[in-house]
Amino acid sequence: MAQRSIHYLSAVATILASACLAFAHHGSNISYQLDKTITITGTVTEWDLVNPHPQIYFDVKNEQGELVHWAAELLPTPLMLKNMKAGWSRTTMKPGDQIALTCNPSKVTGAKACLAKGLVVNGKEWPLGPGAAPPAAQGK
Amino acid sequence: MAARPRSGTTGSPGEIEMRTVLLLTIATLPIAAQNPAQNNGGFDPHDLSGHWNRTSRFQTFSNVYSGQGSRQGTEEAPLTEAGKAMFDKNKPGYGPRAVPPAIGNDPMGTCDPLGIPRLLNTEVITPHQTMEIVQVPGRMIQFFEWHHDWREVFTDGRPLPKADDLEPTWNGTSVGRWEGNVFVVDSAGFDQRTWLDKFGHPHSENMRLQERYRRVDKDTLELTMTLTDPEVYTRPWVSDTKIFRIDREKPKRWDEQIYCVPTEEYRFNQRVRDEAGGRGAGK
Repeated sequence: MAQRSIHYLSAVATILASACLAFAHHGSNISYQLDKTITITGTVTEWDLVNPHPQIYFDVKNEQGELVHWAAELLPTPLMLKNMKAGWSRTTMKPGDQIALTCNPSKVTGAKACLAKGLVVNGKEWPLGPGAAPPAAQGK
Repeated sequence: MAARPRSGTTGSPGEIEMRTVLLLTIATLPIAAQNPAQNNGGFDPHDLSGHWNRTSRFQTFSNVYSGQGSRQGTEEAPLTEAGKAMFDKNKPGYGPRAVPPAIGNDPMGTCDPLGIPRLLNTEVITPHQTMEIVQVPGRMIQFFEWHHDWREVFTDGRPLPKADDLEPTWNGTSVGRWEGNVFVVDSAGFDQRTWLDKFGHPHSENMRLQERYRRVDKDTLELTMTLTDPEVYTRPWVSDTKIFRIDREKPKRWDEQIYCVPTEEYRFNQRVRDEAGGRGAGK
């Protein structure tokens, strides 16, 4: 089994404008702390581009060096796919890819699930939301 | 002095031009009368076909407080005591009574059919979900992008069956007719497992619904509804005016087929939403 390079970097709370409220699927607003973000880095174990939301499953090494499994949901899939220019596809991520994810944490203390707001895959920033340009157009 | 009668094409150039315009106008009147599109700014008010996005704000049946946006609703849902009890049992994922999906019971969470009028109130939202109307002899058909659902409104003159003769169905049984330029749809026989909206407003199997559609210009469709359900609501409840804008770009796009897939929804709830809601594995 290939050794995974996993790093837990930081959990930083910041104030965010909740511009994407209108895009939320049922329960997004009530499940997550929309006024806070955390940044997590880890290794992708699974990428599901399905309804109702695309999902990233990934492993993170905590401060004790233990592997912790996380899940993140993205915007509703129809919105993600509406702007096909962004290039979201089933091959956007694959197991083993390194990601840095900025997301809203759950309201439940200790829950390992969050709502994605920003995503970097193997050093390339991917837009989260309709209308954003794909990595290639950003010159990344 | 009285003007002398003229005949033929005699007269000043200006008078001849005016008469020519008048004659042409009169000559074209019958044609225009047969083609409503020429009378109404390039559209036929009896043509409701097209892809429509709802652009009006309220996702509830009417202007009741939903917790969305800065403006609060100005109306109370006129619930009966029994209706209030039904409302309290519904645990939505949206609005002021929202709970995490892990402990909610929104039919959407299990991909159950959303039904009429919820599909009209909530789920036809620009820019990612549209309603297509197709008119064929004897029927008007509405296709809803979300859930890939559709609904028939019979326009062949058949009466709406008596309530006792109807088995409840997700979208009800509907007949339509024209009253002037208003397309009126009367429906009954609804399955009471559906909600009126995503905020949990209930209805009974005895709900009667009247929808009134009016194409106000080539780009705009208006809808107002009246719901009658004495078991659940104290009086006939009139909706706000739903506004839909035509989406002419829709047929040109390769959009996703937006199904709600039970296995995908279950997997998502189990692996993400239950964890986020404090009901993850082992909890």
